[in-house]
Amino acid sequence: MVPRWKWKGAEAKALAEPVSETVSELQSSFARTEASGFLSTCNVLLLVEVEQAELLDRCCFGRPVVNSEKDKRWVQLSFEEAFFLFCKLNCIKISVHGRSLEDELDLWRSMRSFKPNFAILYKAYSHLRSKNWIVRSGLQYGVDFVVYRHHPSLVHSEYAVLVHSIGENDRLKPWSDVHCSVRLTGSVAKTLLVLYVNGQVNKENMNLPLCLEDYTVEELTIRRWNPELSREDESRT
Amino acid sequence: MGPRWKWKGAEAKALAEPISVSISELQLSLAKTESSGTLSSCNVLLVVEPEQAELLDRCCFGRLILSVEKVKKWIQLSFEEAFFLFYSLKCIKISLQGRCLENEVDTWMYMKSKRPNFPMFYKAYSHLRSKNWVLRSGLQYGVDFVAYRHHPSLVHSDYSVFVQSGDSDRLRVWSDIHCPVRLSGSVAKTLLTLYVNGNFKGEDLNLPLCLENFTVEEQTISRWSPQLSREDETTNSKPNVTTVSNFKTL
Repeated sequence: MVPRWKWKGAEAKALAEPVSETVSELQSSFARTEASGFLSTCNVLLLVEVEQAELLDRCCFGRPVVNSEKDKRWVQLSFEEAFFLFCKLNCIKISVHGRSLEDELDLWRSMRSFKPNFAILYKAYSHLRSKNWIVRSGLQYGVDFVVYRHHPSLVHSEYAVLVHSIGENDRLKPWSDVHCSVRLTGSVAKTLLVLYVNGQVNKENMNLPLCLEDYTVEELTIRRWNPELSREDESRT
Repeated sequence: MGPRWKWKGAEAKALAEPISVSISELQLSLAKTESSGTLSSCNVLLVVEPEQAELLDRCCFGRLILSVEKVKKWIQLSFEEAFFLFYSLKCIKISLQGRCLENEVDTWMYMKSKRPNFPMFYKAYSHLRSKNWVLRSGLQYGVDFVAYRHHPSLVHSDYSVFVQSGDSDRLRVWSDIHCPVRLSGSVAKTLLTLYVNGNFKGEDLNLPLCLENFTVEEQTISRWSPQLSREDETTNSKPNVTTVSNFKTL
């Protein structure tokens, strides 16, 4: 399935400004001016300068929070987004109850305590982000994430992502569950992408972000097979 | 959401021939010939006379299998359908590898061994069937069953049914719930979740009698539209918004 650009010229714009470059700009901007995020039980609130908010939006990290501040902007980040900015891109600092968390271990543990499946979701998130896909919440489409080739204002998302942890849960076990996701995904013109995250989820070092390096991710797209379209027929145009 | 009859006159036909009456006819016919179903690891095959095949089709039990037999008909039944005919309606016998299973416990245990979630699914199936809903596989719609008010040739299915038990991992996160809700909505059905409560791990799970100790809680999940739920004296009875007409006007 080819990318569906939203308007004429969108593809050219996307080629001219690759996501990887915008992410680098983001990193540089944060290196110049420190930004601090505040951890709560379900997300991270980040206070940034106006142009940093714009860069975050261009890379699709977080959602702006409406408020009355004139000079600064508040951005709400999911755990995955915040941890990625903190640990991978080294852009932001995070504090909880006023205390700054130096150690990624502390942050990792806190997030895991608030969200039990955080490790698996984060592995999937960072796996896709590292390939320069834009990753957003898939709640609206009944999946975990939706991924875009570039900014959502330029292109429609191509994949609806379900994250499956090997050996852990029963999602997608009965065929009807798989078919449910496939049908819904198809009706919104996306392809279902299942990420099988394989890791020792119960071992000791589950407490360290380093455990992520031991995890493997297997990608599997699931599509409906159409006999008419798959026929070998020389007379077909 | 009112029932969506498939053609003019379908509703009258349905009222004239209630499902309960067709089921009674089916019971009598099958009991007369002592039909026996052959149990396999995933379904039950039943050989019947042509008019019995027609009755089974009228009540929507099983699927007709194409065969070269001229006189008799072969019907493929799911475990739930077969056990319902055997245990609840008491109109067929079941045999395994040539040996007739007199004892309902034997059939129950065999089916349970092939499909661990059979007890839960059967409870849900018999719960709805006892209320004269017509049930079919919901595989096509990404759910467990679809429920029709009458025969599928007369009416579109009203509900897509999801069967859950207390320790089930399905529908745990919100996105998992939203998926079938959205899909059900797009095919003009309401999502019905049946929570089957009972002790699934106890000893007496081996007896069909355990079914009497299970309870079923019904819950429909549909999307709430702010426009349609507003208390406004000036609104028309018909909603203006086309996107929600699927949910209301059918």
